[in-house]
Amino acid sequence: MWLWFAKLGSPRWFYELSDKWLPWLYVSMLILMSVGLFWALLIVPEDYQQGQTIRIMYIHVPVASISLACFPLMAVAGTITLVWKMKLADMVAQSVAPIGAWFTGLALATGAIWGDQIWGTWWAWDARLTSLLIQFFLFIGVIALRSAIDSPDAAAKACAVLAIVGAINVPIIKYSVEWWNTLHQPASNFSIDPVAPNPPEVWVPLLVMISAVYVFFAIALILRTRNEILQRERRSQWVIDLVTREKNV
Amino acid sequence: MNDAREIQGLKGVSTWSAFCATLRRDLIIALKRRNDLLNPIMFFLIVVSLFPLGISPDPVELSSVSAGVVWVSALLASMLSLDNLYRADYEDGSLEQLLLSPQPLYFLVLAKNIAHWLISGLPVVILSPLLAYMLYLPSEAYWTMVLTLLIGTPVLSLFGSIGVALTVGLGSRGLILAVIVLPLSTPVLIIGAKAVTDVMFGLPVSSHFALLGAILALALTMAPLASAAALRISVN
Amino acid sequence: MFCERDERILFSDLHFEVAGGELVQVKGSNGSGKTSLLRIVCGLNEDFSGAILWKGEPVADVREDFLASMIYTGHRAGVNRILTPRENLRWSASLQAPADDSQIVEALGRLGLRAYEDIPCRNLSAGQTQRVALARLLISKASVWILDEPFTTLDIHGVKNLENLLAEHVSTGGAVILTTHHPLSVNCRARALDLDQQRINS
Repeated sequence: MWLWFAKLGSPRWFYELSDKWLPWLYVSMLILMSVGLFWALLIVPEDYQQGQTIRIMYIHVPVASISLACFPLMAVAGTITLVWKMKLADMVAQSVAPIGAWFTGLALATGAIWGDQIWGTWWAWDARLTSLLIQFFLFIGVIALRSAIDSPDAAAKACAVLAIVGAINVPIIKYSVEWWNTLHQPASNFSIDPVAPNPPEVWVPLLVMISAVYVFFAIALILRTRNEILQRERRSQWVIDLVTREKNV
Repeated sequence: MNDAREIQGLKGVSTWSAFCATLRRDLIIALKRRNDLLNPIMFFLIVVSLFPLGISPDPVELSSVSAGVVWVSALLASMLSLDNLYRADYEDGSLEQLLLSPQPLYFLVLAKNIAHWLISGLPVVILSPLLAYMLYLPSEAYWTMVLTLLIGTPVLSLFGSIGVALTVGLGSRGLILAVIVLPLSTPVLIIGAKAVTDVMFGLPVSSHFALLGAILALALTMAPLASAAALRISVN
Repeated sequence: MFCERDERILFSDLHFEVAGGELVQVKGSNGSGKTSLLRIVCGLNEDFSGAILWKGEPVADVREDFLASMIYTGHRAGVNRILTPRENLRWSASLQAPADDSQIVEALGRLGLRAYEDIPCRNLSAGQTQRVALARLLISKASVWILDEPFTTLDIHGVKNLENLLAEHVSTGGAVILTTHHPLSVNCRARALDLDQQRINS
């Protein structure tokens, strides 16, 4: 058990394992993404209320769901950093932060485009959008803190603490925003629920898209983490060997 | 001789007296520096008076935003005063002494947070009715506003403490403290301001107080632990 | 009572013990890691690999006991500028070990700060501030003193005074770990730990 754990924490082990995984991930993303996009953009019937605009949801929902998963993921990685001092966990935590910020930004942007079509305004203080916005600020805070601290060890631990505090706060923010919003603006045209109960021909392609974007996220995370590993381990022998081999090829 | 010393050292002081001494120390420092005591209040006063200048002097308009204005200003005033919380102690080395105390750091950090609230939060709470009057807050909402601030401002001090503890070692903190702390404070702001607005419309607000109280309880138990961990990292 | 530790980069395979009734002077050129070593030993710095043992047990297991028996004075004196020496020491005492006012006055007196008890520390010179920090040693009952450059800013008289205090502490069974560039002349069991050579010379 401990051996396995120590192995898992080794950046080199992760680097070599991910070498084997990446091709499979590329292929499955390509398949899922093309099937999902084709299905969602061309085959799915128009929504009786939202028309063609519903197709934005096939991007928005997967992206938003990942952006929600990023903070807990960062907090888990942070906890591992603090408790077991595992280097790999911090590299993952560092890689998640900008990806999370990007996905949150993307979710906000697609939400705004959808809002422009359906609500007639780019921005509304809708509960979902507002809590995404605040979460975006939280990501920016973690990234800012990381870049402000010079010592990598101190930065890792400080960001881990902030990620854990933030992760505890995210649900509180989400519920308080929802509560604030529902009591504030009863009904009106904001009430159209983009993910209302739908027939299978609508949610199956959504599921495909969600898995496609999840695989994409995994690839992005692995690539960033690999970059981080090479950066931080640049003085260790195996990285030097790797680089010289690549050069010779 | 050696053993005798060790036994004496072990007996030490009680956590309670260390807690009180830390609280007293921070209050004495604040009282000796009147400016630090006055600045958050003046800041609060000035920010609140900027809103009528920026919006309009119309009583109807002002009264509709008064709750939010008072709450946002209280939040900013708390932010402004946070910097004093650990900075001087970090620079003169007192923070190292605090970390090396055999007493649980949780209580020492809590004492410092309570001192910070007494210095910066409580005056704002006391002053708030005056500002609410200037913003034409309906009279039935006064008590709610004071009470929500009374429960909410300690949460701001406790959350803020985490942010300061994380950034205290940084040379150029700039706005990073605000970027870290403000998003964490949004639930308190939302619930506090909404309670005041709801009372103005004659709605029941007991659930608001329950939520605020729950957040305060959570902050009291968790935030000093996070601050303590952050201080250890920053002093490293 | 002994401490033990190993580390890499700044120093590796470093191993030393400190016993009661002994003074260890950590030597080394600038940047050799003297301050880091002291901060690691007292627990302020956690970025190291290796173990620190207190009375044969890992410090993490007996942290409270260790902290209660240890006092540290670093480059930064830990003296608040706004408070008076008396108020500063009262707070220190409450964190470490109880001390009443007469003990505080006596400690300050022994370090030549009589009549300065109630003057805000910002009005004191650097050397006097350092003496306030050293007065903490006298009011604490700690058996291990960890002192980082305690002689800087002290005048000749202050240096002599501190040397006497160290000798007295060691002769009553206490332990001292200190760094200094000042040639130490203490009348007690003393040895040096040279970080440049990474081994103990008796």
